[in-house]
Amino acid sequence: MGLRDALFGRSKLKDPASDDRLFAMSTARITLQSDLDLKPAGAAGVCFRALSAESFIRAENDLQELLDAVAKESGSQVERKTDDLGYEWLVVRDQDFEDLVTTVHVVASELEARGFGPQLLAAVFPFDGNFKEKRVYWIYGFKPGAFWPFVPTGEGQERDNAEELELKAKMEKELPVEQDLTRWFGLFNAPL
Amino acid sequence: MKRKAYGRDFGLTSRMLLTSFLLGLLYVLFAVVLFSVFNVGLYFGIIIIGGLAFFQYFTSDKLALRASGARIVSEEEAPQLHAMIERLCGMADLKKPRVAIVDTPMPNAFATGRNQKRAVVAVTTGLWDRLDEKEIEGVLAHELTHIANRDVLVMTLASFFAMLAGLMTRIGLYSGMFGGRGNNNNTVPVWLIVAVVSIVTYAISWVLIRTLSRYREYAADRGSAVITGAPEYLMSALQKISSQMTLIPQKDLREVQGVSALFIFPPSVKKSLSELFMDHPPLEKRLAALAEIAREMGRPVD
Repeated sequence: MGLRDALFGRSKLKDPASDDRLFAMSTARITLQSDLDLKPAGAAGVCFRALSAESFIRAENDLQELLDAVAKESGSQVERKTDDLGYEWLVVRDQDFEDLVTTVHVVASELEARGFGPQLLAAVFPFDGNFKEKRVYWIYGFKPGAFWPFVPTGEGQERDNAEELELKAKMEKELPVEQDLTRWFGLFNAPL
Repeated sequence: MKRKAYGRDFGLTSRMLLTSFLLGLLYVLFAVVLFSVFNVGLYFGIIIIGGLAFFQYFTSDKLALRASGARIVSEEEAPQLHAMIERLCGMADLKKPRVAIVDTPMPNAFATGRNQKRAVVAVTTGLWDRLDEKEIEGVLAHELTHIANRDVLVMTLASFFAMLAGLMTRIGLYSGMFGGRGNNNNTVPVWLIVAVVSIVTYAISWVLIRTLSRYREYAADRGSAVITGAPEYLMSALQKISSQMTLIPQKDLREVQGVSALFIFPPSVKKSLSELFMDHPPLEKRLAALAEIAREMGRPVD
């Protein structure tokens, strides 16, 4: 792939990694809650770009169909949002964390089935701390198929890197954590 | 269901391959002629140019940053720009490059750095101020594609022998001018052969390198379309950039010419004699190519 890219230029986006790794979040929740005092916030989001569908109108229809399909399939609530950088979000709400993860998985595979696979950016799971005011996010990047922590300080677009590295160290055993720190993009103002 | 891969353009791929092949062939011929004419002393030249190319390759990021006056900015300084680049990288599965800003009202952007780790994407303040968000994304995706395609490496390799030929021309001419007149036979002097071969090689490779550079530009435009999924914004960005470029006097642009091959739009806008001598394709052709991709994608273009 590397040599081909250099010779002829990249021609397409990478497809998402095998999405089974997303389920690691279900079990990691227990450690997050018991050891780190982080509670799931009852919501999660899938972030993608709707732009590159074959046809703009068809993409709109596809997304509506998808929302209906997911609503039928699961007990979770799903709504569609757009963020300030023009990315699309499908926000899932469910108090039961396992159902939440399952629905996120369903949303992602439905998007893939409708051809949005290469446009999938990330799934985001917010957690709230009991003592600290800070909200902690675990981001799952679809391309690398790995998780990383994201802790905005709440002031502008600053991140608490110390806390993030601590979370990485503590959760590495249970979660497939992205080892390349340059790929840990943040998602500020996630509409969750 | 799988959507089509819009990214493949067999015409472009084969033209790129042909250009690279011709360039390679030319260099091999050049080397063969030089070796057969004189086999001592050539190694010295190769080592010097190899060293230079190596130096240029390894310092490409610093050189380009210095030459353009770009300043690396932190996330706090340019949060929006960082956020945009991070997401595009997430989309393209790239490491996040360093981000730099050039303080000039001329809207432009460039990428440099020998690999993903050392890569830098720089935008001018003019680009940030005059283009809207979607257009900036299109430009950033174009630059990120240059990084993904390893264009610094490709162009360094492509120019290696052209540099050698340039040096040989000079050496040949000097030794002809100042060299001893020991052998006053009827045979053609060696320095003349070397000089002629070098000049011819240099001239042909110069055209071929520019041709290759133009193809890399098309490839980066296409890559941008693939990453953002919306080539029409890159189209409007290119139009805005080019119309702004012509408004600004050329004097200010001289110092950034060294890195012009990696700019999204060439800073020098004077009309070239012919397309053959340009390192960027003409605007109309880029727009036409992007419009074609947009049609393939079913995007609305007017």
